[in-house]
Amino acid sequence: MSWPGHFGWTLVRRPAGGLASLAAAFTLAALATGLIGGLLFLAAGAAPAQAFAALAKGAFGSWRAVSETLVKATPLIFTGLATALAFRARLWNIGAEGQVFAGAIVAYGCSLQLAGLSPWLQVPALLTAAMLGGALYGALAGLLKVLGRVDEVISTVMLNYIIVFGLSLLLLHGPWSEAGGFFEQSAKIDPGAALPKLVTGLRVHLGFVLALLMAVLVGFLIERTPLGFEIRAAGSNLRALAFQGARIGRLILVVMALSGALAGLAGASELLGVQQRLKAGTLVGYGYTGIIIAILGQLRPLGIVLAALLFGALVNGATLMQIQTGVPSALIYALQAIVLLAFLIARAATGWRLRRLAHAG
Amino acid sequence: MAGALVPRLAVSHLTKRFGQLLANDDISLSVLPGEIHCLLGENGAGKSTLSSCLFGLYRPDAGSVRVDGRPIELRSPADAIAAGIGMVHQHFVLVPAFTALENILVGTGRGWRLDLAAARRAVRALCARYDLALELDRPVAELSLGEQQWVEIVKALYLGARLLILDEPTALLTPVESAKLFRVIMRMAREDGLAILLITHKMAEVMRSDRVTVLRKGRLIGTAATAEVSRDQLVRMMVGRDLASPRSEPRTGPATPLLRLAEVSLRDADGRRHLDAVSFELAAGEILGVAGVAGNGQTELFETIAGLRRPSSGSIYLAGTRIDGEDPAGIAALGLGHVPNDRARDGLVPDFSIAENLLLGQQWQPPWRRGWLLNRPAIRQRAATCIAEFAVAASGPEALVRRLSGGNAQKVVLARELAKASRVLLCNQPTRGLDVGVIEHVQSELLRRRAAGCAILLASEELDDLFSLADRIMVMVGGRVVALVDRPATDLATVGRLMAGQAAA
Ligand SMILES: Nc1ncnc2c1ncn2[C@@H]1O[C@H](COP(=O)(O)OP(=O)(O)OP(=O)(O)O)[C@@H](O)[C@H]1O
Ligand SMILES: [Mg+2]
Repeated sequence: MSWPGHFGWTLVRRPAGGLASLAAAFTLAALATGLIGGLLFLAAGAAPAQAFAALAKGAFGSWRAVSETLVKATPLIFTGLATALAFRARLWNIGAEGQVFAGAIVAYGCSLQLAGLSPWLQVPALLTAAMLGGALYGALAGLLKVLGRVDEVISTVMLNYIIVFGLSLLLLHGPWSEAGGFFEQSAKIDPGAALPKLVTGLRVHLGFVLALLMAVLVGFLIERTPLGFEIRAAGSNLRALAFQGARIGRLILVVMALSGALAGLAGASELLGVQQRLKAGTLVGYGYTGIIIAILGQLRPLGIVLAALLFGALVNGATLMQIQTGVPSALIYALQAIVLLAFLIARAATGWRLRRLAHAG
Repeated sequence: MAGALVPRLAVSHLTKRFGQLLANDDISLSVLPGEIHCLLGENGAGKSTLSSCLFGLYRPDAGSVRVDGRPIELRSPADAIAAGIGMVHQHFVLVPAFTALENILVGTGRGWRLDLAAARRAVRALCARYDLALELDRPVAELSLGEQQWVEIVKALYLGARLLILDEPTALLTPVESAKLFRVIMRMAREDGLAILLITHKMAEVMRSDRVTVLRKGRLIGTAATAEVSRDQLVRMMVGRDLASPRSEPRTGPATPLLRLAEVSLRDADGRRHLDAVSFELAAGEILGVAGVAGNGQTELFETIAGLRRPSSGSIYLAGTRIDGEDPAGIAALGLGHVPNDRARDGLVPDFSIAENLLLGQQWQPPWRRGWLLNRPAIRQRAATCIAEFAVAASGPEALVRRLSGGNAQKVVLARELAKASRVLLCNQPTRGLDVGVIEHVQSELLRRRAAGCAILLASEELDDLFSLADRIMVMVGGRVVALVDRPATDLATVGRLMAGQAAA
């Protein structure tokens, strides 16, 4: 006798984390996003097919478009990696946003001191400074957790507010506001501090290569090193790790600092690679978007790079879409949220798989 | 009456695969109303898998199930409950913040409204029926493991279970609680005609059942009437060979003390006293058995020695070095291994492979680390050796620990801690949840360690185990050592009385 199921099919659980279920989730999410996005475009008064075509052309239609997509993706790779590193240890660092600012601020402060020196010295020094800045700001939240038992979600969100307002003050009334300027921005940095462009005439810069390098390093760190081992153990059963004598307080500090350092690089890469000056508004949102990137990327470096490229393409393509079809480019942020939600729902749904029943005798 | 012959549960040709692994291979068995039916088998034999299939948690790949003669389809636990099947899991699934009553009622509502008063009356009646003094309004987090178990059972009965599946219900209970559990399920079967499918590794409990079905490596070996088979026959069916029961020989020669506790007290932040001036010495090549009802300070004693808790006063020496106030890693490095009593909570990382769990705690140490990186070939190699040595049933070093059966998971903890324990081994309930074959292996391993000069502190609720292994026995009551005697100078009854808090006669 066979085990009866409906219409000869049954639902069975897929092995967790299987590649097949992941692929199914992505396909489903892409379809859902296409459908809902298309409806949104329709509501905005454009033909969906045209809007998507313009979006794709804006993102990849020319070398210039590709370069801009990579420029937009670069800070997101950094913040995605920063978030993922902490999340793997189940440390809910929501503070990449503030750590981006910290990195940019420290890098800018140092650039004032180093102006005029050789780029060979300035660029590495400023990148290191940005990492230190982000690391200190991240470690501050870690310290509050270890010493004061302050939940890191609360502390990192608070620290985000503090540094965003802090930078505004510095730029509006402080010593860094551009002489004679009305905007919330600093003067330009020394040309020797700028990150070199990868291709002359295009804006894509050294930061992108650095981001890819960091993705590889983070992958290695998590999977192959004793520290990564502790991070993964903490993410699964912290108590068992503590029973083996691991120093949990130190681990929290180190992970928060490393996470902050990665986010700090996003700040440096924007400051030295794109804006060439501190401007509060231009740094906003990378940290929070990094959380979405990290989740979409399944907290894995390769996934994060792909998710960041996708979001970079969406943001970059939106401009051409607005010009050609009149769909407001801000709609793209709604689309990003839809991608995430569709993915999460599809992920839950594809944990199950339809299977034809074997009709045993 | 012909009705009595219709089995409450009839399973035929049930098969369940996990990928390549055949966890249940063509299993058929029946449980009659009023019968206590034991499911016996080694760790990883497929007992929990079978009961999960019967409760609708797994979908079998083939086979059919009848309840009271009617074929039923088990797509989810809801189907099982509707068919009158109740289950108490190997790991309880209660909501700690809910009260006992809320836990019993959660998810049972029909319609939207919950008639709390009527439900309370029904639950009260059930408790009264079996003389259970369950405090219905206490949060489950405050209940003992034994009481939590009652909550699970009452919940199943409240849902109308006529077949009760109990997966190792006594593994975590004290002997007194186990005895009570047995009295009650006997009454449920004899007086109320409940059918009971009982999974247990304790042979004394098996021998009190009506019939036994034995599984080995997923296959059905056979079903026997308990009265017609001996304990040794069952063990042979289960593990496929005879077992020796290891006993320790008297020690010879002088022994150097390795572990010394002097007036160690432990008080927590609320002023509760867990340990009260505990003093003893443990020598190389000695097994000191710790007897005591659970919750009388044994776990705190072990954790304090291992450096997981800081004593409020007193001192602890390991091979002459003072270790109280040291951190756990430093103490472990002196050659101390610690098998915690709650392996899932304290001993294992469920998302890690066997190899990674064996590495836990030594991830920075040289052979396993080369420069910045983990030495993965060496780690895998060592894991393969441990898996072979402890006969862990798993696909290999990369198998995730969360997929292991309870007993196999315990073997992983044992393998890791035995490797660390060059001087002192702390074993808190090391054989809990293990099958008799593995228990034999663990016991002879402990004796081998003892012969090699390891000092072993062993806590067990199985007094028989303590008496066959320990050189001396220490009884703990309320955090105090009430007796510390040579094994030949005492007997089971005396220790039992001391544990219950009565002065020795
Ligand atoms: N979800 C799962 N995925 C893959 N394998 C599994 C899964 N659950 C159990 N197994 C495997 O199936 C086999 C039977 O496991 P099961 O838990 O049924 O054993 P058991 O008889 O209950 O053992 P124990 O007495 O140790 O609790 C084991 O080899 C186990 O590793
Ligand atoms: Mg089991």
